Amino acid sequence: MNTALVLAVILLAGLIVPQLIDKLKLFPRRFRFKIPAVTIWLLIGIAIGPSVLKLVPAEFNKVSFFISNLVLGMIAFGLGQNFTKSLFQKVGKVVMWVSILGAIGPWLLVSLGLTFLMHIPMHISLVFGAIAAATAPAATIAVIREAKARGYFTDVLLGVVAIDDAWCLIIFAVSLALARAFLQHMAGLNSFFVLNVLVSSLKEIGGALLFGGIIAILFMKLSRFARTAAELLTFTLGLILLTTGLAIFLGISVLLTNMCLGAILVNLDKASFTFLESLRIVETPLYLIFFVLAGASFHLSFFLQLGWLGLAYITLRALGKVGGASLGGFLGRGGKKLTRFIGWGLLPQAGVAMGAALVAKSVLPFDWGNMISTIIIASTVFYELVGPIFTRIALEKVGEVS
Amino acid sequence: MNVILDLGFILLAGIFLAKFIRKMHFPAVTAYLLLGIFIGPSLFNLISPGIIQISGLVSNIALGFIAFSIGQNFSIVHFRKIGRSVFWISILEACGAWILVTLLFYFLLRQPFYISLLFGAISAATAPAATVMVVREYKARGIFTDTLLGVVAIDDAWCLIIFALSFAVAKAIYFHLSGNFFLLRVLMKALLEIGGAFILGGLMAYFSSLVSKFLRTPTELLVYTLGFIFLNIGLAIAFHLSVLLSSMVLGMTLVNINKSSFQFFDILKSVDSPLYLTFFVLAGANLELKLLGQIGILGMSYLIFRIIGKMSGAALGAAIAKAVKPVRKYFGLALIPQAGVALGCALIVKANFPEVGGMIFTALIATTIVYELVGPICTKFALKKAGEI
Repeated sequence: MNTALVLAVILLAGLIVPQLIDKLKLFPRRFRFKIPAVTIWLLIGIAIGPSVLKLVPAEFNKVSFFISNLVLGMIAFGLGQNFTKSLFQKVGKVVMWVSILGAIGPWLLVSLGLTFLMHIPMHISLVFGAIAAATAPAATIAVIREAKARGYFTDVLLGVVAIDDAWCLIIFAVSLALARAFLQHMAGLNSFFVLNVLVSSLKEIGGALLFGGIIAILFMKLSRFARTAAELLTFTLGLILLTTGLAIFLGISVLLTNMCLGAILVNLDKASFTFLESLRIVETPLYLIFFVLAGASFHLSFFLQLGWLGLAYITLRALGKVGGASLGGFLGRGGKKLTRFIGWGLLPQAGVAMGAALVAKSVLPFDWGNMISTIIIASTVFYELVGPIFTRIALEKVGEVS
Repeated sequence: MNVILDLGFILLAGIFLAKFIRKMHFPAVTAYLLLGIFIGPSLFNLISPGIIQISGLVSNIALGFIAFSIGQNFSIVHFRKIGRSVFWISILEACGAWILVTLLFYFLLRQPFYISLLFGAISAATAPAATVMVVREYKARGIFTDTLLGVVAIDDAWCLIIFALSFAVAKAIYFHLSGNFFLLRVLMKALLEIGGAFILGGLMAYFSSLVSKFLRTPTELLVYTLGFIFLNIGLAIAFHLSVLLSSMVLGMTLVNINKSSFQFFDILKSVDSPLYLTFFVLAGANLELKLLGQIGILGMSYLIFRIIGKMSGAALGAAIAKAVKPVRKYFGLALIPQAGVALGCALIVKANFPEVGGMIFTALIATTIVYELVGPICTKFALKKAGEI
């Protein structure tokens, strides 16, 4: 199947299948909710991918790479645009509490749980724990968009999935450093090493801010040249691609850089929302392709290798996330409904986790690294499929679905 | 430098260069092509090879979109007005170029007949992309414009037939093959390619129209339209049919069977600019500038003869169809751009004629560079003179 044909199948299936499934009304009335399109897109991807129908040719990789990064950039950009001063004043406190505890929660629970319940060496558990902290914004954002959700809960959720990436970077850096230190049994080197790694993760965050800022200024200076709708679309796409490409080139986080771009932009120039608006029309086809391709990259065989360790990881992470986030919601005085459901929106885990797993694989001894990688990939599949459903239910329960 | 960075740069640089060049009264297409030449392997080689590799995909998709949008102009109502002109002009300008180039090469330049025939056949091709972009950019409107869009579209079908015929004859002469059977076979193949394209486009249009009433939001419409156009392009590639023709037939059939088809075309127009920009920049990046030096006598002659052939053929066709005066006077000028189809044919020639194929190919690439750069400007000039800009 050539590339054009695959794209056609993806687009048409991604459009028609969710509508068909909707009409099927699968669950009894009491439990009925709308299955998010994201989950269906992922399933379509799994269906056409190497595990089932094998429709996707190898040459598609380039398109995959391009679209995944472009969409991540667009999502992060949109997220960043939420960071207005007024939003900070409204939900800043709660977002801080929820995001910090929502990251520490799984970290602690998984690290300790795996060490004491599953008897995994401490330093390995630490790495698992760090990866557990990561949340993937893409799926959550797609669900929010599809539900046209609006309100306090939604705002908090958006803020949390955005900021949470920064915390994860730090947590991961520290854990990895500690794990390495344990391995090398150099107590003296411990603190120096931790500091080193901490600094490098701060550098990454700083780099994202710096480049995001530079490009934001560029954006503003040049934006008066883009006047027609067509030019606006091209211009915005061009800038996001530029930012994303630069981030990849410099080895800094695509998500963070674009987010900084969006955040700095929205605070420098209120009219910058027009840029985001111009992207709206192309967002859905791109998100559709993105998630189907994500699904197509899943190898179902990995599920079989989960084992008890994998199940423990999945359970402990879920408990840690929901628990930590709820505690954060309580301490930040977010209100009863929010405290109950906020963790549900934080379950999806994807790229960041897998990237972290790959790093871990290169740092730790072969067996452990491989195992971590396998389990993370499998659990990611699980969370990506199940996460959006919980997010959707949470949104419906707090009544913020339009 | 990765593909993403390259694309971001291309999009941004493209917008600004186009604005800049518009002040000098050149169409945006010229800016895109120049940008491509500048950053491509010919000159400064700023972009990564990865992006050159996807040029093929981008061009197929872009051409499909362009041909689809041309199809919108072929509603029956519309066609009644301009059908005669389109038919006569397109046939005569294609044949005019073909015959003139062949004869002049044979008699004036004393080239072997089969070589003359090959040059002649390729000269019939016109590239619709640049022409459509110029029309869109300047919002040209009127009978001249409508006729022009019709001609550049249909002209591809004639070129396919002319090339098939000439290629067969040239091959027969060169390889001393027994003529008739071979000729018939190649002709059948060309007709199959054209007929297949018509059938594919028609079927796609029919099916897409069936379900279209269930589309509610603009987003759904966009995904649906994109899906079907990609399906059409993908199937055309898979079955070795002309992507251009089948996409055009898709658009043409849709506009005639579906009263609200305008929404398909409109929704596409809202998102296609970045694609077209990239398409032209990549086209420019693929032009090997150094070949200009090797254009030689053959190349120069080809350049001139083709233009004369096109212009006189078009004028004759216009006269026969009793078209309005501006059409008769300036039409041929608008048909100068030549690109993809010609290069595709040139590639086939190169692959099949071992000794002279390479020379023909090189000469053609060199002339394409000139045509691509000069063509859009001539088109703009013609449109202006016809009073439709």
